[in-house]
Amino acid sequence: MLKEALDGQLTALYNAVAASEQVQVEPVGRWFEAFLKRRTRNVSASFQELEEEEQLSEEEEDEELQLEEYPMLKTLDPKDWKNQDHYAVLGLAHIRYKATQKQIKAAHKAMVLKHHPDKRKAAGEQIVEGDNDYFTCITKAMEMLSDPVKRRAFDSVDPTFDNMVPSKAEGKENFFVVFAPVFERNSRWSVQKHFPSLGALDASFEEVDHFYSFWYNFDSWREFSYLDEEEKEKAECRDERRWIEKQNRASRAQRKKEEMNRIRTLVDTAYNCDPRIKRFKEEEKARKESEKKAKAEAKKREQEEKERVRQAEEEAARMRREKEEEAARQVAQQAKKEKEAQKKAIKKERQKLRTTCKTHSYFTDNEADGVRMMEEVEKLCDRLELTSLQTLNEALASGNKEQSKAALEKQVQEVNVQMRKEKEAEMQAQQAVRGAEHTSAGGGGLNNRGWNEEDLQLLIKAVNLFPAGTNARWEVIASYMNQHSSSGVKRTAKDVINKAKTLQKLDPHQKDEINRKAFEKFKKEHSAVPPTADNAVPSERFDAVSAESNSSPWTTEEQKLLEQALKTYPVNTPERWEKISDAVPGRSKKDCMKRYKELVEMIKAKKAAQEQVTTKNKK
Amino acid sequence: MAAIGVHFGYTCACVAVFKDGRADVVANDAGDRVTPAVVAYRDTEQIVGIAAKQGRIRNATNTVVKVKQILGRRYDDPDAQAHREESKCIVVNKSDLPRYEIDTGETTKYVSPEDVAKLIFYNLKETAQSALGSDVKDAVITVPFEFGEMQKNALRQAAECAGFNVLRLIHEPSAALLAYGIGQDSPLGKSHVLVYKLGGTSLSVTVLEVNSGMYRVLATQTDHRTGGESFTHELAQHLAAEFKKTFKQDVTGNPRAMLKLMNSADVAKHTLSTLGSANCFVDSLYDGMDFECNVSRARFELICSSLFNKSIQPIKSLLEQVNLSTSDINKVVLCGGSARFPKLQQMIRDLFPDVELLNSIPPDEVIPVGAAMQAGILVGKDSLALGEDSITVDCCASDITVKEVDDSGAEVFTVLFPSGTPLPARRQHTLQGPGSLSSVSLELYQAQRPIAQIVLRDLEPKEELHDIVTVLTMKRGGSLHVTCTEQGSGRAEAITIETAAAAS
Repeated sequence: MLKEALDGQLTALYNAVAASEQVQVEPVGRWFEAFLKRRTRNVSASFQELEEEEQLSEEEEDEELQLEEYPMLKTLDPKDWKNQDHYAVLGLAHIRYKATQKQIKAAHKAMVLKHHPDKRKAAGEQIVEGDNDYFTCITKAMEMLSDPVKRRAFDSVDPTFDNMVPSKAEGKENFFVVFAPVFERNSRWSVQKHFPSLGALDASFEEVDHFYSFWYNFDSWREFSYLDEEEKEKAECRDERRWIEKQNRASRAQRKKEEMNRIRTLVDTAYNCDPRIKRFKEEEKARKESEKKAKAEAKKREQEEKERVRQAEEEAARMRREKEEEAARQVAQQAKKEKEAQKKAIKKERQKLRTTCKTHSYFTDNEADGVRMMEEVEKLCDRLELTSLQTLNEALASGNKEQSKAALEKQVQEVNVQMRKEKEAEMQAQQAVRGAEHTSAGGGGLNNRGWNEEDLQLLIKAVNLFPAGTNARWEVIASYMNQHSSSGVKRTAKDVINKAKTLQKLDPHQKDEINRKAFEKFKKEHSAVPPTADNAVPSERFDAVSAESNSSPWTTEEQKLLEQALKTYPVNTPERWEKISDAVPGRSKKDCMKRYKELVEMIKAKKAAQEQVTTKNKK
Repeated sequence: MAAIGVHFGYTCACVAVFKDGRADVVANDAGDRVTPAVVAYRDTEQIVGIAAKQGRIRNATNTVVKVKQILGRRYDDPDAQAHREESKCIVVNKSDLPRYEIDTGETTKYVSPEDVAKLIFYNLKETAQSALGSDVKDAVITVPFEFGEMQKNALRQAAECAGFNVLRLIHEPSAALLAYGIGQDSPLGKSHVLVYKLGGTSLSVTVLEVNSGMYRVLATQTDHRTGGESFTHELAQHLAAEFKKTFKQDVTGNPRAMLKLMNSADVAKHTLSTLGSANCFVDSLYDGMDFECNVSRARFELICSSLFNKSIQPIKSLLEQVNLSTSDINKVVLCGGSARFPKLQQMIRDLFPDVELLNSIPPDEVIPVGAAMQAGILVGKDSLALGEDSITVDCCASDITVKEVDDSGAEVFTVLFPSGTPLPARRQHTLQGPGSLSSVSLELYQAQRPIAQIVLRDLEPKEELHDIVTVLTMKRGGSLHVTCTEQGSGRAEAITIETAAAAS
């Protein structure tokens, strides 16, 4: 018994319930299976109960079967059983293909009870004898409908089935009204039990897509064996039976094809008329369009942005450049002005120095000394900076003659020392440059250490001088190198071999390159700068290279001509060298003599080297 | 759809088939419904069943018994070691796994316990298929509750090697419940069941909770030292004493004579379960001397009285363990061949005076029948592969009760939604209130704590009682929805109570 609610008591919550807890259960029993199924399918218990109820109600339905009497039953001709409506005969015209086996059985039983000849006889009715009584139709109908195969054949050609496919015009106007019943009707041929419905106008794309894919892949059980013109059973022999079978198969296939075409046409028509498809297409199109647009816009925006950035950068760069240029110009102007001022000052100072010197008649009485002094003063004027000139001038101006002279001479000496130093530095720099060039031009790279241009030159020469087959060739070459090298590096035969090999490895082009470079270098050294240190006297610096001595190296042709000439004009020929020089165009007598001496020396050296090696070997 | 249920025990194996909605035990080719789980190796053949058991007298070293004890265990497992000491067949260590050393004439074979089990399973399969007349392979196999993962796997493998398609391994106590269909008719209600199993070598007692048709093991206890064999042994000892008394000869030192006596005692024990007395007769037991002796049931019960007490003992300790009294148990299921002892059944009845003792199915067939029923449920369904042999479900944590007053005016609590109900669940009750009232209140409690109050007002006073239909629906998380409807006026109130976790 529940209690009475007191006044003021209301429905209320007091506390939370305890949370569920996990427990292990044994995996047995049907309730466990049901639970598992629910859990995996994620449906509630009530839903499952609903399903079970549905099944129950179906079963109940079977019992209350209502039969419709077929008014024409008694007029049916049993011979024409193929054209009778079996469902109507059994009184199942209202449920037709939906009738269950149970219902058919029940209907047949009811019919038999009512129409059996014996029953009717008892009721005093007239019976047609034999198979001609209409009761045969009932038997036949039962025979057709109780066998699933035969029933399917009959269902397939159900006379009440409307094979109509709506036309496009109809479908366009009122799509759902026209097509829904058609699809509903045709879905009974589906092998699959569950088929999607046409749906409404607001169906989602997935639903519609599913619907059409179902119908485009429609799997029909409809077959047309019922319409077979010939009956296999009637055949008298095997051959005839086969022939009949063939005929039937062909016609069935034909009909099946027609049926498939019909379904196909239906689906095609529906698809074309479906306002939803149109909508989806439009939507898709719009979506694509908008996507495209968005893409294009994005691209455009990006480009614009890029352009803007680029312009800004350019602008900035231009501004910067202009500013720099402006600054540079100003600096240059400034510098120019300063320079001019300095120039002027220097000129003035120089003039001053000269005049001072002149007034003091170069601090000397001797004429020659005066000239030398003059030269020195000129040099001073050339080389001295503005400040030193100024100090010099001041010194000259302030002091007496002797003092001035001392100052001047001191200055001259300083300048000379400075010049010599500069020259030496220049020399060193040149040497360094030569070395660097040498390593870079070496090509062989690695074992190039200690091999300068001249040595390479020498090596090539030596290799050519002592061709392959020379006794103890590499030793000979090495000693030759050691004798003639200016670098002062002692080389062993091994070094020489390695180097020669690397040189050989270089392709001819590179070799040529080396040769050419060496040649150029040689030319430069010999033409531009006097190569040796001992003639680097400052006073000779300005000496022009003697006109007649053409120091450019001897070419092969020249060499050949020279040799030819040497042979043609033997030693005792009068004015031999003049003649020889005539024979060698572009070479003076001196050149030729020099060359001859060189050659002689070279041959001598060669012989000496060879001898040295042979003696060494002998030892 | 036919399916097979297999019980593979320590001493005996039994197979039942499910066919046409019924589960039945199948007799083997020897006509017995239970096959001894004994495999004898001979020179060229392997013998399974009763023939092997009887041949054990002469072929003890090549006969494997109680293979289940060692199945799926490592060599150094204490249980395996115990089995090794007890077994007449030599057990050796092969790369940490036990192997039986079988002497077949010239060569020595090493047989794994799985192979032995496979032979037994194969025998059972043949038995089942001969009854079904088809190549049915789908089977449910029972395992003891204490079996570990390795042992289950070994058993499953052995069964699969023998050609079974193992649908599921289920625990023996739940199979026993299923055999009696406990909780299977209606998924409502909650009860406690005790399964008492006295097998050949082991005694196990299990308490299960049945709720909504689902079984849940609350506690279990197994004693591997007590079993039918202990009784046989006790009886054999008694017979040996009798023999000594008569013939002044001690046979206890002679293993073969003892085996013979054991076999004789076994037969006598079986007879005593049905008859008042049994005759033991052994030809040329010792030195060509025949032995004959008559044992009455009273004598037997006296000899084994300590064993009987020992067999009953675990029930009490188990109930203490789960905090239940004997009156909380709604049903007791007997299984295992030795549960046939009339004395034992009487003792259990005494222990549970007003509880239904289920022994209508022969106790040694209960488990295979349950397994076959489970196989019948599973077969033909594309059942999900269960990783473990039991599964966790969400359950209601504690009872939902409503406070009512009884005729005398005292407050009573009626359980509306019992604890342990698998969720989600819905329970419907019709509560009644006096017709004279115009309003009623339902006070809902959980674990003595008020959780909600539902008030229905403006009811029309009438002669008869107010019927108030109360529907409680609990979701998986534990949140509760209650709807109360007064049938007469249709007035309704509904509330939803969240769980503490959800509310916070």
